Amino acid sequence: MGDTMLEIRNLSAGYATAKGFVRAVDDVSFSLGRGEFLGVAGESGCGKSTLAYAIMRLLRDNARIESGSALFKGRDLAAMTAAEVNAHRWTDMAMVFQSAMNALNPVLSVGEQLTDAVHAHRSVSRAEAEALAAEMLALVDIHADRLKSYPHQLSGGMRQRVMIAMALILKPELLIMDEPTTALDVVVQRSIIEKIEELRRRLGFSVIFITHDLSLLVEISDSLGIMYAGRMVEYGPAAELFNDPRHPYTEGLMNSFPSLTGPLRRMDGIEGRTPDLLSPPPGCRFAPRCRYARPTCSAGDPPRLEPLGGGRLSACPYPRRGEAYGCAPAAPAAPEGGSL
Amino acid sequence: MSAGLIPATNAAPERAPALELRSVVKHFPLRSLAAYGKAVHAMDDVSLTLEAGGSLALVGESGSGKTTTASVIARLYERDSGELIVAGLPARPFRGRAESLAYKKRVQLIFQDPFGSLNPTHTIRSILERPFLIHGLADGKADLEARLSDALEQVGLSPASEYLRRFPHELSGGQRQRVNIARTFAVEPSIVLADEPTSMLDVSIRMGVMNMMLDLKERKGVSYLYITHDLAGARYMCGSIAVMYAGMIMEMGPTDEVIRDAVHPYVRLLKSASPSPEAGLVRTPLDAGGEIPSLIDPPPGCRFHPRCPYAEPRCRESVPGLADLGGGRRVRCVLALR
Ligand SMILES: Nc1ncnc2c1ncn2[C@@H]1O[C@H](COP(=O)(O)OP(=O)(O)OP(=O)(O)O)[C@@H](O)[C@H]1O
Ligand SMILES: Nc1ncnc2c1ncn2[C@@H]1O[C@H](COP(=O)(O)OP(=O)(O)OP(=O)(O)O)[C@@H](O)[C@H]1O
Ligand code: SF4
Ligand SMILES: [Mg+2]
Ligand SMILES: [Mg+2]
Repeated sequence: MGDTMLEIRNLSAGYATAKGFVRAVDDVSFSLGRGEFLGVAGESGCGKSTLAYAIMRLLRDNARIESGSALFKGRDLAAMTAAEVNAHRWTDMAMVFQSAMNALNPVLSVGEQLTDAVHAHRSVSRAEAEALAAEMLALVDIHADRLKSYPHQLSGGMRQRVMIAMALILKPELLIMDEPTTALDVVVQRSIIEKIEELRRRLGFSVIFITHDLSLLVEISDSLGIMYAGRMVEYGPAAELFNDPRHPYTEGLMNSFPSLTGPLRRMDGIEGRTPDLLSPPPGCRFAPRCRYARPTCSAGDPPRLEPLGGGRLSACPYPRRGEAYGCAPAAPAAPEGGSL
Repeated sequence: MSAGLIPATNAAPERAPALELRSVVKHFPLRSLAAYGKAVHAMDDVSLTLEAGGSLALVGESGSGKTTTASVIARLYERDSGELIVAGLPARPFRGRAESLAYKKRVQLIFQDPFGSLNPTHTIRSILERPFLIHGLADGKADLEARLSDALEQVGLSPASEYLRRFPHELSGGQRQRVNIARTFAVEPSIVLADEPTSMLDVSIRMGVMNMMLDLKERKGVSYLYITHDLAGARYMCGSIAVMYAGMIMEMGPTDEVIRDAVHPYVRLLKSASPSPEAGLVRTPLDAGGEIPSLIDPPPGCRFHPRCPYAEPRCRESVPGLADLGGGRRVRCVLALR
């Protein structure tokens, strides 16, 4: 992975609301190598989209970056003027938005929307833009006939692939995808993910793939970042996070999707609900739901991500969890019916 | 090992199945002039059996006809043709409100959306009271009170008094879905049709709701038809499975067997597309492109043939029948006939 494409350092961002400031991204740090595929997972409202918007400098009017930096190839996006960011956005770094398949303009054909995207940033002839549009559609397995189609004439999966083609048309080096497949059926979802994977290998861009569906991410990501209530609580190589989660929240998430082919066992998910970001609980934000929590967990500042070695980081000060105390949590109840 | 945390059959063999569909058809006529005479073929030749005390998962992609099937069973819509048999008795047109009420008490539907299905202007108390009052299930005020508490505690919402006075917006999604489930079980149904009951919930709390449904089933002995698009969730919940594609059931049988060695190419496709992190990180690419066909002009023959890597000329000519492979396994594909 060699050089670093993106380095996020202590980034905080959020929204000014009538009730106070919602710090949706709170002191988040991670780095992304060239060509690397990073999966970011976490529950609804934990700040995934806000993180993506902050990096792209597309935060809404009531939102702002409070502190920290986002170094894109060494230059701090957070400190750039609007004009400087414009020079990078869509050309060097692009984003596919959550529910993007409804984001296409209904009155313009697919071809017009693709060529408009080219003309907005490059001075090329119409023929060149059209050729590029056809080439990009072919990349996502859509026949050039479809250049004349309108969005409503395409299925959800095709619209989503058009959005991916549009994000890639200027050959960005970083692609951020915010839940690009969530509303789609598994088969369509899988074919889109395989497409992204193939394009990444061919074109060499880096990917940040955001979703709440961890089971999907484990298979496709090089690295995984797990967010909870605005904070990154665990980060590391995807396979290792899956096989040996260190943060109790990650462990809970891994216990939240049943296995398709492995042994069938009772899984418990996580009790309780996510905290309100207007007044997050003191100490570790996961403490109220954590089966390993100690009184010390609920005091002071939230624990920071600390290295565990091997490129892994966790924000739980007890990296071996209950074992540190010599006490494992109660074993989950055996499933009923004796069918195991 | 049988699939599902519930044994596939814990019913005495002589009991009639809780529910049977035989060759049920349901089309929705299109109303526009341009489409005069056309219809959405939402269910065609759908046959399935839910054993008494059993649990059957109905799986399939969006628009394949799962909700229509549940609605036909709940008799929100009447089927166009075919038989619906509940506890051995064929369904016939309702004669009067009492009959339809009795049916609705017995066959309960849980909807996908815990946000839309609870009236936002009513307290949890008035939402939960309704079924007891409508079906005359409570014996006086004290009994009603006890039943309300019991209903909420069964779904893990306690102390009940704390929840009874709240409004739906004062509950989390998971809590709302629990209220929904409490309301369903309040009338002591014998069949529960659960239409994607956890798909709108945050991932971390889905298992809690699923486990609670499994526990309730064990305690109350109801039969479940559990609708989902998640194959792994189907396996966790149900001993048997039926996979729908474009309005037809393509394969059914014991869940573990169907997942382990699916015969129908669509079911194999579904399996290879389903997330399965424990199976290793390197996967073979899918070998069928395309998306679910139009149900207004469904493809002739096997509805999967336009996407099927194994399609033969005869697949385009006539709809394959459901071949019986024994052991409860049935497959609608020419491959199964060889
Ligand atoms: N425009 C806004 N004004 C005020 N608060 C907002 C705004 N947008 C988001 N928030 C709040 O910021 C937090 C993070 O939101 P964000 O959209 O980043 O979450 P997410 O992880 O992307 O969730 P989801 O999985 O539902 O998309 C949430 O608590 C949300 O309520
Ligand atoms: N009341 C209706 N009128 C007309 N068409 C309908 C009606 N209800 C459903 N349909 C159509 O019937 C087909 C099957 O729909 P159904 O809702 O049963 O699918 P589903 O498998 O439940 O899908 P999903 O997973 O998206 O919920 C779809 O093409 C749908 O548009
Ligand atoms: S610090 Fe405590 S509460 Fe937080 S994650 Fe670790 S164990 Fe849980
Ligand atoms: Mg989001
Ligand atoms: Mg449905």
